Amino acid sequence: MKFKVRLALVAVIVLVMFILHNSFWLWGLDDRVPLLFGFMPFAFSFYAGYTILAVIAMRAIITLAWPEPPADLLQPAGSEESAEK
Amino acid sequence: MINILGITVIIVYFSVLIGIGIYGARVSLKTREDYFLAGRGLGSIAVFMALFASNITAFTIIGHAGFAYEVGYGAYGYVIGWSIFITPFTFYLVGYRSWLLGRRYGYATQPQVFGGIFNSKLVALLFLVLLLYYTLPYLVVSIIGGSLAFTTISDGVVPYWLSSFIIIGISLIYTIPAGLRGTVWTDIFQGTLFLVVAVLLLAAVARALGGFTEITERIIETNPAMLQRELSEKIAPINWFSFSFINSIAVIVFPQMFTRILAARQSSNLKRVSLYYPLAMAGIFAVSTLLGVWGSIAVPGLTGKDADNIVPLLIHQFLSPAWMILGLVVILAVVKSSIDSQLLSFAHLVTDDLLPRLKRVSSGQAVFFGRILLVVFAAAAYYIALVRPAAILSIAAFAFSGFSVMLPVMIGALYWPRANKHGACAALILPAIMLHLWYLGVLPEWTTFGFMPVFPAFILAILTLVIVSYLTAPPPAEQREKTFGIFDKVFKYEEKSAEERIQPKSS
Repeated sequence: MKFKVRLALVAVIVLVMFILHNSFWLWGLDDRVPLLFGFMPFAFSFYAGYTILAVIAMRAIITLAWPEPPADLLQPAGSEESAEK
Repeated sequence: MINILGITVIIVYFSVLIGIGIYGARVSLKTREDYFLAGRGLGSIAVFMALFASNITAFTIIGHAGFAYEVGYGAYGYVIGWSIFITPFTFYLVGYRSWLLGRRYGYATQPQVFGGIFNSKLVALLFLVLLLYYTLPYLVVSIIGGSLAFTTISDGVVPYWLSSFIIIGISLIYTIPAGLRGTVWTDIFQGTLFLVVAVLLLAAVARALGGFTEITERIIETNPAMLQRELSEKIAPINWFSFSFINSIAVIVFPQMFTRILAARQSSNLKRVSLYYPLAMAGIFAVSTLLGVWGSIAVPGLTGKDADNIVPLLIHQFLSPAWMILGLVVILAVVKSSIDSQLLSFAHLVTDDLLPRLKRVSSGQAVFFGRILLVVFAAAAYYIALVRPAAILSIAAFAFSGFSVMLPVMIGALYWPRANKHGACAALILPAIMLHLWYLGVLPEWTTFGFMPVFPAFILAILTLVIVSYLTAPPPAEQREKTFGIFDKVFKYEEKSAEERIQPKSS
């Protein structure tokens, strides 16, 4: 897969997460959805779920577009202090 | 309250911090990179706890609980919701590319990274000035908030001036000898302490109030508005949307956070951090949200600033005095873990980016000057925290927004080869001026179209960068190659390898 396509997929993930955070049309459910575990109303439990989704989204972004750098690239260019201890 | 147990807990706590300072000084080398960046050798847990603890302030447990007391469960999503995802995403978006350049070219601060990308001393100077300008009020407000909380929770036994002195003084004890290594090690200790005590505190308060389900049922019966976001004006959709552009995206711009990213040993450390971070932030803010909302039923009737005292009040009214000791230690841990990193960043920026403009300094001298500057800035911050000048406090009100509107230039520098130094300078200066005009009331409110000023200022930064860059000459090819050549090798490595694998077969 071309890197530009991967970046586009990352952008889609970010957009979906942004829309979910700003999903004002769901606010009407705040007093209608049953409590989660007996103490989490929807305005709270939504973000418990959102947290799990955020971890999955970051995992997907890492897989899609976060490559490890080639080892030779990390050699400092001309800084004597940058050498690994 | 000041009993044997309390004194013992506080002595043990201080002894651990002093021990870390002494040990950190013994293992640290007297070089600039070792003192300010821990030799770029931080592992996953160290980077994670450093970022987490540095980003937790008195607001997290005190101010946020007060906000939840007023607006209900919606405070959770409003304050931390978008941050849960976007802050770790910025570790990838800005952090990883900056880390690559840091490893390659030895960059250690934002002025160096972005001054280096644009090959411009003016861009570096603007980053330096703006970061110092916004960090100082943020630092002072952290000290004021922490000291007030410390005084409140000690029931006035420790006066405000002494609280500030203790908070700053102890931070210096381990930061001066051990630099970043000292602050990171204490972050691991203090962050863990904070997480554990916060969860225990939530469980203890829940038990005292009859249990999780019982309290929630009481809230539904007596104040059901706490469940409904639509009923709170403070978190109205336009404010909710605007707030997405304040604290969540500002985190990567904070110099203390940026430096810790550069100090990571490997790319894999940053990847792990971006997976741990959402869980930790969501967890800690969940605790303070619940304490605040429960407090609205258990201790009703608080308004305005009084609501910020809800956590100390819950401890006072429902828990044993031993919890007050733990509360004091937690407040100290929370406040110091952010103040030490801000002080060190302040000294780092001046030592690395301002002093070299004035005189040539060796690596050893830089460490010496850094230590002197730490003491000077700590003394200045203490004085300002005592005097509390209105000018400083009014800047603090929009310091987060100030950091946020610098982000478009950072992203443009790392992703858009056509961005040039003229565009970067204009996009740093113009939004900063507009923020001042809006927040200081010079421009009328309608000019923000109902949004918080940070949103139009953010859009202005993007437009300014694009328009001015296009109207002026593009950066020279060799300058672009210095940055984007590195990124091509990393991000298009797999593509190129695949093409190279195909090439021999076709020939």
